[in-house]
Amino acid sequence: MRPHEHIRERAGAWLCVFTIFSDTLQRVPAMRTETASRAAPGQKEGRFRIAGQRRWRTTIDAYILVAPALIVFSIFVVYPLINTVQLSFYQYGLTDPDVRFVNFDNYIRLFQDAIFWRALRNNGIILIFSVVIQVGIGVVLAAVLSRGIRWGKTFFRTLHFAPVVMSAVAVGVLWQLIYDPGIGIINFLLRTVGVRPPVQGWLGDPNIVMFSIIAAACWQYTGYVMTIVLAGMESVPAELYEASGLDGANEVQNFFYITLPMSRNVILAATLITMIGAVKVFDIVYVLTRGGPANASQVLGTYIYYNAFTINQAGYASAIAVVLLVIAVIFGVLQLRFTRQV
Amino acid sequence: MKRQSTLSSTIVYTVLIAYSVVIALPLVWMVTSSLKTTRELFSSPFSPPVNPQWGNFIEAWNSGIARYLFNSLAITVISVVLIVIVSGMAAYALARMQFPGRIPLYLLLIAGFAIPVHTTLVPLYRLLNNTDLLNTYAGVIGPYVAFGIPFSVLLMFAFFVQFPSEIEDAARIDGCSTWQMIFRVVLPLSLPSMASVALFQTVLLWNEFSLAIIVLNDDALRTIPLGLSQFQGQWTTAWPLLLSALTLASVPMLIIFVLMQKQFINTLSGFSK
Repeated sequence: MRPHEHIRERAGAWLCVFTIFSDTLQRVPAMRTETASRAAPGQKEGRFRIAGQRRWRTTIDAYILVAPALIVFSIFVVYPLINTVQLSFYQYGLTDPDVRFVNFDNYIRLFQDAIFWRALRNNGIILIFSVVIQVGIGVVLAAVLSRGIRWGKTFFRTLHFAPVVMSAVAVGVLWQLIYDPGIGIINFLLRTVGVRPPVQGWLGDPNIVMFSIIAAACWQYTGYVMTIVLAGMESVPAELYEASGLDGANEVQNFFYITLPMSRNVILAATLITMIGAVKVFDIVYVLTRGGPANASQVLGTYIYYNAFTINQAGYASAIAVVLLVIAVIFGVLQLRFTRQV
Repeated sequence: MKRQSTLSSTIVYTVLIAYSVVIALPLVWMVTSSLKTTRELFSSPFSPPVNPQWGNFIEAWNSGIARYLFNSLAITVISVVLIVIVSGMAAYALARMQFPGRIPLYLLLIAGFAIPVHTTLVPLYRLLNNTDLLNTYAGVIGPYVAFGIPFSVLLMFAFFVQFPSEIEDAARIDGCSTWQMIFRVVLPLSLPSMASVALFQTVLLWNEFSLAIIVLNDDALRTIPLGLSQFQGQWTTAWPLLLSALTLASVPMLIIFVLMQKQFINTLSGFSK
């Protein structure tokens, strides 16, 4: 039996979702050789009593080492997750003593809830625009910084990455002020060039609000995508460019025929990270609009929060949380599969 | 040929600098505006402050920023230290030791990395409420450590798997027990990988908001993001004050970033956020 089949066999006996992860696991080459070199002597040792005792010792030590992580993780992640799924079948409020099993009612209500669909759609809008803008600009910027300029690379990279280390709350408050009809600089600039700003404001107009949020999010994270992709582009072997230079290729051709295909994996990873960010989004929406006006900018995260902690419908919030969980896990599995190859 | 490349280089720099202004302008505006009067904010948003209002900073600082910074610092440091210890121990055992249940345990611990904290907010609130941990440091630190484990185990597992086994073998031959080996040999050698896990989690937790907002209601316990959100509701027209608070809240991390930018960029762009 080949060593990685050994891993698969054991993992396969576990939950089926873990089989997907085990494929990922096999992509860690060091792990394969490590298992291969140890599995065989381990079995031989078992025949001798003294060696058997040592193996017991190792097992106990190993479990002592894993225990703290396992306990904390079980209490604050595994148990709450199971609990979320359970609660999604109850009518229940955090300050409401009346708990009632309602079967699939919360899910049925979900399908008929226009605000839920709006929230889901808004997550989708953020996802699409974030990918197009952040990955689009990020890739071009990275290409320019890696090959197109002679000086200032560190300066530009530092500047563009700076918003990433700020909290999404700080970015939200900052952009709320930037969009402010009175002191905001966007309206000031528009007035200077003689354009009339939107009457209801950038965050008050249901048709504009999503784009105002996306602009703030892209301001914060485009530099992040750029940095990841830049790291990938820098590892493209220089010989390729030397060869293409001999063939008389220009920089634009280099970009399309060398840089882009060679950094495909890293761009894919950055795209998935951006997508996961869009699925999880909460802070910036909460700070900028709380999901308003009139639910126009509600996303799954804010809608869960609103149901659970504002209108005391924790059971219904749990049903939305289960939907979010399913979507997040799908993207997470994709990310794990692709990024481990990079 | 030479002329053309000068021309294209000029175009590239023009576009790059124009785009950089878009990134820099909000930050510059934030810092300069925090030193202005409200009247100046309206009349001349882009000129430097005529008469810097340092009092804005003092007032924001005294309105709670100092306490919020302290809370953020305490919560972040304790959580990060615990994450590194707990995940490092687990990752070492999972990567370097042979024992039954190794693979399922590894998969269980890393499977959590994709889970958004919002999917667990309701049960976490119930759990913390039942155990009287709402409005305590422990109430956020517990979940922070738990949610930090998957990614930290993933990174450190990758490190330990590549760790040369000759070093361990040599230590064993010299008569080290497992524990002696871990503390005297493995731990010192894995400090760089722990440092990058710690840096990653520090940025994440320093800025965390979603969980903190349901656990920490007491003003004395608020972290920086909670405090900012609070000021946003309180100072709806005291803009210079709000901008000062924003500057005070953001500048520490920005300064640390500029000083340690190489480490930040390597760590944060390594895998995901």
